[in-house]
Amino acid sequence: MQYKTLIDVERCTVHPRAFFDPDVYEAEQDRVFGHQWLCIGHESQLPEPGDFLTTTMGEESVLVVRDPKRRIRVFLNSCRHRGTRVCRVDSGRARNFMCPYHGWTYDTEGRLRGVPQLREAYHEELDRDAWSLVEVPRVESFRGLLFANFDAEAVSLDDHLGDMKWYLDLVLHRSRGGTVALPGVHRWRLGGNWKLAAEQFGGDNYHTGALHQSMIKIGLGPSGDYRGDRPWEVDFEAKLEGGHGWINFDVPIGELPPPVEKWMETVRREARETLAPEQQGLVHGIQVGTVFPNLSILAFLGFVTIRVWHPRGPRAIEVWSYGLIERDAPPEVREFARKMQTLTFSSSGIFEQDDGAVWGDVVDSLSGAQRRHYPLNYSMGHGHGRRKPGRPGLLHTLSTEIGVFGFYEYWRRCMAKPT
Amino acid sequence: MSETDARALRFEFEELLYREAAWLDEGRFEEWLELFDSTVRYWAPVRENVPRGEEPLEELHRLTHFEDDKGNLELRVKRLRTGFAHAEEPPSRTRHFVTNVRVLDGDDSDRVSVASNLLVFRSRERRDEVLFSCDRRDRWRRTQAGWRCEERRILFDHDVIESLTVLF
Repeated sequence: MQYKTLIDVERCTVHPRAFFDPDVYEAEQDRVFGHQWLCIGHESQLPEPGDFLTTTMGEESVLVVRDPKRRIRVFLNSCRHRGTRVCRVDSGRARNFMCPYHGWTYDTEGRLRGVPQLREAYHEELDRDAWSLVEVPRVESFRGLLFANFDAEAVSLDDHLGDMKWYLDLVLHRSRGGTVALPGVHRWRLGGNWKLAAEQFGGDNYHTGALHQSMIKIGLGPSGDYRGDRPWEVDFEAKLEGGHGWINFDVPIGELPPPVEKWMETVRREARETLAPEQQGLVHGIQVGTVFPNLSILAFLGFVTIRVWHPRGPRAIEVWSYGLIERDAPPEVREFARKMQTLTFSSSGIFEQDDGAVWGDVVDSLSGAQRRHYPLNYSMGHGHGRRKPGRPGLLHTLSTEIGVFGFYEYWRRCMAKPT
Repeated sequence: MSETDARALRFEFEELLYREAAWLDEGRFEEWLELFDSTVRYWAPVRENVPRGEEPLEELHRLTHFEDDKGNLELRVKRLRTGFAHAEEPPSRTRHFVTNVRVLDGDDSDRVSVASNLLVFRSRERRDEVLFSCDRRDRWRRTQAGWRCEERRILFDHDVIESLTVLF
């Protein structure tokens, strides 16, 4: 299949096969997840040598560990002997990792150190240096977020993020101390294709009024009043090179408790030192974005969540959502952030539940033998983007799909590459 | 406490927890809410795969699947009543199965800790049939209006969980 034909860049359509076809999914595992920068966690989760965590890059289980030289290393979590996962816990601190099957043991630099019965069974003929854990060649970070890339030839993370860094800084660099991850991860399963989640955070503000209407009715969602009559520089979306997208809007929603409001004042004051003048005015309100391919970020009601939409087949997503908080935030601010994130955007989140309720539906419908012939419309705002000096990207008022379709334009480029 | 009193107390909580389960399955959420004290902590730790005995369930500032006070529980119910809570509209069908009810300490006649196992079946829209299994640890306080729950810890037997659109 010519995967690039799934995206019609003239008519701004996406073919249903992009969302349910097992062949497309398999190709994606290589052409997207095999070559793009994938978020594997936050530096603050691994403060000391020997600290490790396990996660997945695409569907591949990886072991992330800080080595004795304090470098973050990433390895395929699979023994070179029979392939068993050498680390079967989520996180911890270790000097070495022993495969449970036959006992091959690797150190925190991935080297094969221990082989039971090396002399008797292998006759001293096993070259241990040749059987290290397979290392993921590229590991880089941005403002504490850790990324890895299976492609040794990939552009740097810095180049990949490009103009998106300017927007990510609105959340990750708005205070002097930067952010740390709260302990624990919200992990839950949803029906649907991973791209549906990524595209939505990357620029679909349009869904809020309908899908999250229950939240507007109980006073926790942005009401429809902000649409249309506010200056486009305040409430806008940005389409960035590299398939990234950003939504920024300044709609007051309820009142934050006094200690949290006081803390946010501190943050905005510090932002005057850490951010450029054009950025400082955007620290208020709500920020939502997607870093291509499957990392999204949301700052809302005093909390910051980053989440990875792990693909689990064309029709299933495993969400791993982390909570970030300013390193210097006082305990009551941390608690408020943790509670609000859990209430709204989490495994039990009263916003997030409704997103999960439709993504599975989309994929089930699109795979119908008839429905699959009719493409999906992503044309909203096409050709109406504008530029603003000092602010990166192609910009548009809320709502638009220029950022959402930008995600697919970039996906198309990834998928068109021969492997 | 005499054995007769202990049996009576356990019977009382079995009745209470069965009634609560019926209210949830029948969508009588406002009545369900009344069981909770105004100071309630309703929470559910996230589970982690770590060596035996090392799971940090009580760690400070740790993310949880639920971290609700009374106000948050009321918001969840209020949302369900808007008619636009799409994850539960049309509503899922649930069945709460309560077993293994144990009164853990009942020496203070006004405050009791109660453990129970809970299995919840949920189905919706011709597909998506799931089971949630958990241990509940409650702390109940005797009031003039009856027992009120001051704390409920829901310990799910899942590390990666299905979307939690229902109450436990």
